[in-house]
Amino acid sequence: MLNAKTRYKLIPYAFLGIPVTIYLIWIIGPMLYSFYLSFTKWDGLTAPEFIGTKNYRILFQDEVFFISLFNNIEWIILFMTIPIALGLTLAMVLNRDIPGAKTFKASFFLPMVLSLVVCGLVWSWLYSPHSGLINEVLRRIGLGALATGWLSNPKVVMEAVIAVAIWRQVGYVMVLYLAGLQSVDQNLLDAAEVDGASAIQRFFNVFMPQLAPVTVIVIVISIIDSLRAFDLVSVMTRGGPYNQSSVLANFMYIEAFNNYRMGYGAAIAVIIFIISLMFIMFYLTRIAREETNA
Amino acid sequence: MKNKIVISVLAALFVLGMAPLFAGGQQEGTAEGGQAAEQDVVVYNSYWSDPEPKRVEAELMEMFNEQNPNAKVIHSTVAHEDFKQAIRAYLTSSAPPDVLTWFAGNRARFFIDKDLIMDISDVWEEAGWNDSYSKGFRAMSSVDDKQYFLPGNWYWWAVYYDTRVFDEYDIEIPETWDELMAVCEKLKDNGVTPFTVGTKYRWTAAAWFDYLNMRVNGPEFHINLMLGKESYDDPRVLKVFNDYWGPMIDKGYFIESPASYAWAEAIPFMTNGDAAMYLMGDFIRDSYPEEDLEYLDFFRFPIIDPNVPVGEDAPTDGYFIPKNSQNPEMAKKLLKFFGSKEVQEYVAKELGRLVTNNKVDTSVYNENQLKGREIVNAADYVAQFYDRDTTPEMADKGMNGFMEFWQNTDQAEEITRQAGKIQATTLRRVTHNLLRTSAGGTLPPAFHT
Repeated sequence: MLNAKTRYKLIPYAFLGIPVTIYLIWIIGPMLYSFYLSFTKWDGLTAPEFIGTKNYRILFQDEVFFISLFNNIEWIILFMTIPIALGLTLAMVLNRDIPGAKTFKASFFLPMVLSLVVCGLVWSWLYSPHSGLINEVLRRIGLGALATGWLSNPKVVMEAVIAVAIWRQVGYVMVLYLAGLQSVDQNLLDAAEVDGASAIQRFFNVFMPQLAPVTVIVIVISIIDSLRAFDLVSVMTRGGPYNQSSVLANFMYIEAFNNYRMGYGAAIAVIIFIISLMFIMFYLTRIAREETNA
Repeated sequence: MKNKIVISVLAALFVLGMAPLFAGGQQEGTAEGGQAAEQDVVVYNSYWSDPEPKRVEAELMEMFNEQNPNAKVIHSTVAHEDFKQAIRAYLTSSAPPDVLTWFAGNRARFFIDKDLIMDISDVWEEAGWNDSYSKGFRAMSSVDDKQYFLPGNWYWWAVYYDTRVFDEYDIEIPETWDELMAVCEKLKDNGVTPFTVGTKYRWTAAAWFDYLNMRVNGPEFHINLMLGKESYDDPRVLKVFNDYWGPMIDKGYFIESPASYAWAEAIPFMTNGDAAMYLMGDFIRDSYPEEDLEYLDFFRFPIIDPNVPVGEDAPTDGYFIPKNSQNPEMAKKLLKFFGSKEVQEYVAKELGRLVTNNKVDTSVYNENQLKGREIVNAADYVAQFYDRDTTPEMADKGMNGFMEFWQNTDQAEEITRQAGKIQATTLRRVTHNLLRTSAGGTLPPAFHT
């Protein structure tokens, strides 16, 4: 039979066999099938009919696609910048030994424990134009003119939904940075202080470079989360009013499962996949590089 | 440390992933195993998910179990919107539920055409429904003179109002458009918003389009528009938006930010006196607060053009058996039960819906039911409802158009042109289907009992 050395080499592959098979059947297979479906017209009932690139040609003329894409981009930008700014600020503040820091940390992190669906429902009530907390407070403090139908006014609906996602994310980013701050080298800080660096200089030239790995993780997580944003939109607005708060994932869902255009839905899914892949590849190559470095 | 977490997460996912498999296995075990002889399992999925209908259905299931001691009904209730999305998966699976609720008319015919619904002519024959159901309902359930569907109950649409508000301002029930506008003006002057509406899920706006289009252009034009034989890009459609609907929105005859509310969330405006009327189906009664129910009344949507035949929305819900049903015998039994005089009477009494079996004596109906029935019987034509009369895709885009119009009433021309374009590209491939199935494109039959 095989000699001991070869067997030793093969053992890992034998173990890998099971997960790889599962992965091929449940992840790669369906993915390839989605690619195929995106070239077909399929109502989910009769056999798919091959129509070439027609779905894509329709897609690139579909106004809703561009609204959704734009909304996704807006989501990425807001979802990346605001939680990082707020989360980092909170982390810097709470990293000091102030009384009640633990309580604050816990309460800021708390929204993260809630499922997105729960967040969406709760915030739908807060946003309710007639008796919701937000408009009620605005009216009480004399800013009634700002009160609006947060989820029905097409001008603010997207931002209103993204705000909920941000509200939930800040605590999470804070925790990531708090963990990152543990690894900041105190000696460097002391040295900088001795050298007369101002607080701002210390922050940008000592803290930030050391927090760079955390920042990369936060950015990648934010982008991927933004691209698959679906739950909040689905619960709070279903993309409405008239698609103004539609995002790609929601657009795909409506077309495929509400309008029964499975092929068209698959084409949208492929586009989402390609966009996500770019960021995931960037992240993975970076991780791989770090691993080889380490 | 990191690896440990990854491994435990993967392990958890794996276990969670397997759970349904085991659960499924167990279920099959009971269905096919030794118990099969004693217990005849029949799976029934329904969309009667509002609290009142849910209660009544639970009671019906108990009644059925009493009558058929060896039957075991596995009954699941799925929320309305989710049900619509799940039905294709049900129908194409190898072991679909044995009985499903569904909408009569084009939405059922779509599946009949795809050969996914069981021919139940034998049930119609044996249960005597060919005599006890009106011709209209029979035609609605038939394709090529074979029956595939059981219409269970139906309801009417009307303008619901709060009698307290009407009494307070001494308002008479409006019968014409001018009278309705005068009522709106009077309410508005007194600080009451004439109409409440919650358009978050959009179909409430579609009701306005249905009625305005039918009253202005006639039901025949309306149905042809639904079937794609007339275009949205037609000056007659534009008239509905610019001459009737738009001015109402502009004058503030509807509550503010309607898209923030689901349909039932807009009811409190009526009960607390901020708004006076709601264009709604009779199921509004199920969600109306009990203490205010005695003040809830309704009238027929006012006539706009007396020269145009009268059309009404009267959606019919019913049941069918999927073609691949695993237990057609028991499924047919359940269907016979749903269509029987006793059950129909029970539903009519408990739920206040109108029922389809002629054998049900009209004395079971209360005053409201008789009045609603009269509205529909007096109509020249009966439509199902916007999203039931056209294709799901066109309904989706059309309703988005209504929502856009609600926000930008000056954009009607652009919106109808867009709708016309969408209709031309998306409805074409199904028009053929609809025309063929709806008996040569004739209007849905009116109910005559």
